[in-house]
This record gives sequence, structure tokens and C-alpha cells, in this order.
Amino acid sequence: MKNSQLYKGSLNTIIMKLLEEQHRMYGYEITQKVKEITKGELNITEGALYPALHKLEAEGLLDVEVEKVDNRLRKYYKLTEKGTTETVNRLAELEEFIKNMQTIVNPKLSY
Amino acid sequence: MKLKPEQIDRLYQFTRQHYVEWYDLQTELVDHLANSIEAQWEENPKISFEDALQIEFKKFGVFGFMDVVEQRQLALNKKYNLIIWKHFKAFFTIPKIIITAGIVGSTFFFLKSLLFKADVVLLIFGIIVLSFYFSIIYFSRKNKKASQLTNKKWLLKEIILGRSSLVGITYLPIQIIIHSEKVMDNPYGIFIISFLIVAMALIEYIILIEVPRKAEDYLKETYPEYALENAN
Repeated sequence: MKNSQLYKGSLNTIIMKLLEEQHRMYGYEITQKVKEITKGELNITEGALYPALHKLEAEGLLDVEVEKVDNRLRKYYKLTEKGTTETVNRLAELEEFIKNMQTIVNPKLSY
Repeated sequence: MKLKPEQIDRLYQFTRQHYVEWYDLQTELVDHLANSIEAQWEENPKISFEDALQIEFKKFGVFGFMDVVEQRQLALNKKYNLIIWKHFKAFFTIPKIIITAGIVGSTFFFLKSLLFKADVVLLIFGIIVLSFYFSIIYFSRKNKKASQLTNKKWLLKEIILGRSSLVGITYLPIQIIIHSEKVMDNPYGIFIISFLIVAMALIEYIILIEVPRKAEDYLKETYPEYALENAN
């Protein structure tokens, strides 16, 4: 991830948004997907991604599935029912935040 | 190009060398490293397996997997506490609450009838705390033997079967014992003490008997690979 607190605060929301669209994903896939969408601008670090996934899982927002792929076990994450509702809330919160920041950073645009 | 089984084994060994003790976390990291190595091979087929591995490992930062391990411990401890809390709450819903209230009531009248209340309370809490510690030690040993057999460690299993960091649970009785004589001057005090005794006994029952009995279900829910591995 870009070395900025601004992005760090939104990591959970980014993960949840991606899972909402993709149904289920594994860790490496998430890092690649973010890179692809942002054309390499945003790079989630491995050291931040897994702790975030594990925390969301402990909170009951994510569920896990394991499958055997190419000689190894792969752990998929997907949103639980609670997670799906929470994603809607968090996205709304994030959008509100972006709107407010725009008003502050660039007051002219909002009028 | 895909990784060969012996290279997967090497990745498991690599995570163990970097202090990832638990099989569930090893598995996730192995898949991550494997994906990255395969992606590197697609761009540069000449890069060796070990070089590609080092490149990917560096991305985890100077502390390697340590942060991931620590956060995983925190997350699973939190999950465990939520499980205990869920079971505890169940004793305060119908129909169990009738039994809970009955036990609290009996304890109350029993204590009220006694002359040396503080001594009895001390004895009861002593029994609760000591039996808790002995059971934890017993469970830990049993679990250690089991993981030596399979050579795989599961963090949540260790937490459920005795590695639980519930030192706090013994702090409460100590405080109660210190203040019990003052508190038990009046019926309200006796009632609070009765409630705490029952609450402690319930928590102990949940930690030592109820949750370990359901351990397999919780493990399968948390670790789908647990069911896979144990089926093989």
C-alpha cells in the first residue's frame, strides 16, 4: 500500500468492496486485483492484508473456504450476511468522507 | 510453470523457519508465496525458486511474518472470547436462566445462613481457581501430545484446550476475597458475592467442559482445512 495513513484506514473497506463484487477471493488475488484496478498506483502490502483479513474474519464479517488447487491448499474469503450489510454501511461512510474532504480541500467545487 | 510438491514442502519448511508455528497460517502463507513465485516465473522464467522466494519474502518487511502471526493470535483470541461470551449469555436466556437464578438464590441463602461467611467464600473461590489451573495444565499436556502425533499445530485448538490467556479470571476472586468481609455485612453484598461465585463457576464450566466438547465444530468452522486434513 502507498505509504500513507489515508489508505491504511480504508483497507478493510477496500477488501470488503472487492469481496462484494467477486463473491470470494484469496489473499494473493486481492493484492493483484487492487494493483490491476488502480493500475499499480495502490499496492496492498502482504504484511497489512492478512492481519486485516483475519480481523474481519474474527469479527464475523468474513467466512472462509478451503480448496485444493495445484498441489496446495487455498483459503478463500467471502462476506458473511453480517459482512454484506456492514459493507454497505462502510461504503456509505467512505463516500460521505470523500465528499466532506472535497468540500474542505476544494471549497469552490462544492458550490 | 507450476510449483512441484517438493517445492511446496520447502515453502512449509520456510514458514516454520520464520517462526510461523501454526499449520493454518503456514498453509495460507505457502499459497501466497507459491502464487507469487509462479507469477515471477511467468515474467522471468530464468529466476530460480529460491531467489523468487526471497524477493517475495522481502515484501513482508523487516519483521517478516511476525506481524501476521501476532495479528492472527489477537484475532483468534478475540474470536475465542466471543465464543465464551456467547455461551455465557446463553445461561441468562430462557430456559437456562431459571436454573441460573435458582443456583444464585441457593448460594445466597446458603451464605446468608453461615456464621463465618468470608472463610467459606475464600474456600469456594480457592477451589474454583485451583481446579481451573489444574485442568488447564492437564488439557495443555494432552493437546501437546496430540500435536506431536500429527506434527500440525492449530492456534484455536491451543487456545480452546488450555492456552487461553484467562489470567484475568483469577484476578477477580482475589479482589473479592480482599473485600468480601466488608461487602457481606448486608444482604445486597451477599447477593453480589453469590452472583459472582455462580458466574465464575459458569465461566469455568464453559471454558473447561462446554467449549472443549464443541471444539471440533469450532475448529472445522474456523479451519475448513482442519476437516480436510483429518479426513485424509
